[in-house]
Amino acid sequence: MTQLGTPVQGVTLYSFTRAFHGREIDLEGLIRRVAAEGYGPGLEIIGFSSFRGFPEVDDRFAGEFRDLVAETGLVTTSLAVNADIGIHRDRLLTQDELIEYMRRQIEAAAKLGFPIARVQISLTPDSMEQLAPIAEQYGVTLALEVHADQYASHPRILALRDRYEQVGSPFLGFTMDWGATVTGFAPSLLEAYRRRGASDELLAKVVDLWNAFYEQGPPADQAEHGQRFGAFIGLAAQNGRPDLGIDFGINGTGLFGPARVDDWLEIMPWIRHVHGKFFGIDERGEEPSVPVRDLVRLLVEQGYSGAISSEYEGWHWNNWESPFDIIAAEQAVQRSAAEATGSRMITDAAEARRILDTHLGKAVQA
Amino acid sequence: MIADRIIEHGTLSTDGDRASVEVRMPWYRALPGSCIAGATLAIDGVEAPAESLRWRMNGREFTFGELVDATDEWWFPSDSAVLSGDVAVATEAAEHEVSVQLTLYIPYIIIGDGETLHIEERDTKSMPARKAVAA
Repeated sequence: MTQLGTPVQGVTLYSFTRAFHGREIDLEGLIRRVAAEGYGPGLEIIGFSSFRGFPEVDDRFAGEFRDLVAETGLVTTSLAVNADIGIHRDRLLTQDELIEYMRRQIEAAAKLGFPIARVQISLTPDSMEQLAPIAEQYGVTLALEVHADQYASHPRILALRDRYEQVGSPFLGFTMDWGATVTGFAPSLLEAYRRRGASDELLAKVVDLWNAFYEQGPPADQAEHGQRFGAFIGLAAQNGRPDLGIDFGINGTGLFGPARVDDWLEIMPWIRHVHGKFFGIDERGEEPSVPVRDLVRLLVEQGYSGAISSEYEGWHWNNWESPFDIIAAEQAVQRSAAEATGSRMITDAAEARRILDTHLGKAVQA
Repeated sequence: MIADRIIEHGTLSTDGDRASVEVRMPWYRALPGSCIAGATLAIDGVEAPAESLRWRMNGREFTFGELVDATDEWWFPSDSAVLSGDVAVATEAAEHEVSVQLTLYIPYIIIGDGETLHIEERDTKSMPARKAVAA
């Protein structure tokens, strides 16, 4: 029987985008607040969001950053990097350019002290195979994010998993994003649409449409994904709010993925990192549309002892509540769920470092 | 995504026949100049001619043609850029309606056959104009 996992609590600074973008708080202030208010110990950062000049990182900055992390008692978990294949407006990067583009960011992760680089779906199995020795050279695990509208059993993800198995590198894995396995259209987003004048009648239809897609399960392919996107646009147009159509489509298909929680079992042994994606907390203190308790139970029962970065995405539309309070409440749900499964979340920094070393070390020996 | 923040309040500036305004990125991560694909600037409903538009960031000024190849010049998400163009502003009016549209390419999201996702965001705000002070 698998030993119960002890996931490490943490947060991605992406959760605080509205405050950082609004210049209410700078990077150092944010890191200090994360530590002081106990959102860690795990700390995840998006390179291109938080580090000026990224992916160039000079030695002095890297030193200061590492000192700040050490001083505040946080533990760097994942540096989120991007495969900017479309950076030239008239053409895509060549394969050689793409590998070099990723190499620079993997090097930055190593320099800043992140053991994992989160990469994205635009990297093919061939690219991941080509990047494996580079990841190994820098000692950085590449964890490709499985994000709606994909999901664990999506053909593109299974193709990656099968290639990982063939390549056999311990430096290739996945980041599980909870947004792939959502159970409802987020109520806080409905509230935001209400504030933009959408009628209750229209919003009820949006919920019904999403629920129908949930019953059908995730889209089999990009064509079906496109049809669903179109259905949201059509619904908005038929109900006199064509201006909301694209927004319904983007969120209804790209944020709220309708796969079932146990779909994650398809790739479970390759999950190295988790984005605890969520959208809000209701008056009962629960996440109303992401099955946080079921997801934590699954991870604990499967023996997962990596980090879970709480990733609050409600900031896009929720400008009336503090993200700080909402994230604290979601992390309380995670801890409660781990305890209800007979385990616990790790919140002590020293223990988190040991657990994460073992988690990635275990991967190395696998 | 935070499109309501594109125009910075109180930054409309006029210098004879040119006007400028500070703009913020409606996105969460830095984008290179090459992904800033276009803009419009209108004051009180009068749009600046496209060829007169200039984009200033990181202390450098670009035409939109020059931005196409600017893959090494990054617009950081907490920085303002300055969008300027040929449009006369009547300084006697107390308030002006400023309207900006931005087209941004999102370089890591490929939506189809070699096609990169682009977003078009618009913001309109009212504010007084101040006379530009020579730098």
